[in-house]
Amino acid sequence: MSAPLLETRGLARNFGALVVARDIDFRLEPGARHALIGPNGAGKTTFVNLLTGALAPSAGSVLLEGTDVTRLPQAARVKRGIARTFQINQLFRGLPVLQNVAIAVAERRGVGGRMFRPAGLRRDVIDEAMGLLERMKLADEAGRTISELPYGRQRLVELAIALGLGPRVLLLDEPAAGVPSAETHVILDAIDALSPEIGVLIIEHDMDLVFRFAKKITVLVQGAILAEGPPEEIAAHPEVRAVYLGTEAAHG
Amino acid sequence: MSAVPGAAGAAAVAAIRARHRLRWWEPLPWLAAIAVFFTFPNHLAFGTQLLVMVLFALSLDLVLGYAGIVTLGHAAFFGAGAYTVGMLAAHAGWNEPLSGLVAAAVVAGLIGLVSGLVLLRTHGLTLLMLTLCTMALIEEGANMGSAWTGGFDGMPGLSFKAVFGVFAFDPLYFRVQYLYTLAVLLGVFVFVRMLVYSSFGRSLTGIRENLLRMHAVGAPVRRRQVVAYAISAALAGIAGGLFTQTNAYVNLSTLGLDRAAGVLIILILGGYGRLYGAIVGAVVYLMLEHTLARAYPTAWQLGLGITLMAVALFARNGLIGLGDKFARWLARRRA
Repeated sequence: MSAPLLETRGLARNFGALVVARDIDFRLEPGARHALIGPNGAGKTTFVNLLTGALAPSAGSVLLEGTDVTRLPQAARVKRGIARTFQINQLFRGLPVLQNVAIAVAERRGVGGRMFRPAGLRRDVIDEAMGLLERMKLADEAGRTISELPYGRQRLVELAIALGLGPRVLLLDEPAAGVPSAETHVILDAIDALSPEIGVLIIEHDMDLVFRFAKKITVLVQGAILAEGPPEEIAAHPEVRAVYLGTEAAHG
Repeated sequence: MSAVPGAAGAAAVAAIRARHRLRWWEPLPWLAAIAVFFTFPNHLAFGTQLLVMVLFALSLDLVLGYAGIVTLGHAAFFGAGAYTVGMLAAHAGWNEPLSGLVAAAVVAGLIGLVSGLVLLRTHGLTLLMLTLCTMALIEEGANMGSAWTGGFDGMPGLSFKAVFGVFAFDPLYFRVQYLYTLAVLLGVFVFVRMLVYSSFGRSLTGIRENLLRMHAVGAPVRRRQVVAYAISAALAGIAGGLFTQTNAYVNLSTLGLDRAAGVLIILILGGYGRLYGAIVGAVVYLMLEHTLARAYPTAWQLGLGITLMAVALFARNGLIGLGDKFARWLARRRA
């Protein structure tokens, strides 16, 4: 079998005596629709931070298409195609929506450090950013400042920024968190419409969303993988039901 | 993606494409500066100091206003430039003005680069204290190295060659000094304006707005910060060099907290992160200082303090921000 898109081997991280990731062997296949679930404090966001390089592991390695990227800083991993969204929006709040996405696109195209040409003359960057906003149905809000947008619309900007990085691996940290339930379908539609070539790992608490989206589920408990498999298997897994799903398993 | 965006989307695209274009009012401050030359020929010494402070504030705006790097030690670079020019003139006979400014920019820029590489690993209060410490070190160096720097007394009575070998500085009438400083300021302003509207400048704004996100879009954040810091230091060095050349002396007032805090106040007063805040802030601050010090020689700082408090309380974005608000209010009334 060919190398997985993203793989971790014995990945571990502790803060002093507190172990937040222990010996995680994880594989994300090309084109995956993979969900990572687990109770609060299971170490899900820590795991994402280890994958992106925001956090260095205490032991183990991260491989992208078979290449060890454990020592690479965050920026270099982004260049190789690992993009993420944040659990809590991390946007340029004082800037217009279009500018938010244009900054990401400019970095991907490698022109983010150019000093001698006005950013406004980079039509390629601006047009691509606008195209992404159209895909997210945000075109009409392109000129508004982020802080003027409702939270649910801001979540879509998060997604547009991540897509602007041209990811091969997309890590979505609770994309529907804080979004009113009447609006979650917009996020879901956007995720459904992602290119099948992108391997997507989604961290989510909303079980409806997880079971609708994921072809494969990994359950993380206390920093370690408790179970892994297709949704129906996870839903029926007795330990998972006991630890995490509780009565919600009925939704599966 | 060639879908035609709606009107709102098209407007957003047009706005982002037009951001760097010259607005109708942008030549006004420069025309005013030239008008001052003809209408107040007896105040050109003061005018020259004002222009030097505008340039200094502009350099600070690049790091503080655009890159969001909070520093209390920017006078370190102003002083480095001032002393570079002074020491070259006093000890090496290097007193050609323009190449002196280049030397000031290089020395201050190098200090900015080296200190930036170390300091910008930190942020917040730690960074604030470290910038202050760096400045204190340089200040103490200038104080102690009296054989080179003149120590506490500084170096008075320096002389400089004529600009281009033609326009000689006149110690009584600051006509040449004023125009020379104005020309250098204009050149630096055009350069900074180009920077802030470039992709580099946009990425600095991104760093200011959200560091975490900037890392996550793959930007070399630290490198951008250090580059901006070094450029800003070089520009502050030019301002310091102009100070020495136009005053024909240099002393410890070019370094130290008074000057560093003064330029910070100027930028907050005028409005940071918007280029013209440096101009408005310096004009208002120095005029206030000038007139208040005359009217109330003992208590003039009280007036400055009250003004600053009013700005902090009622005009968070400085006087330029207040102007923006007023323009919006006018537009609403007209609509």
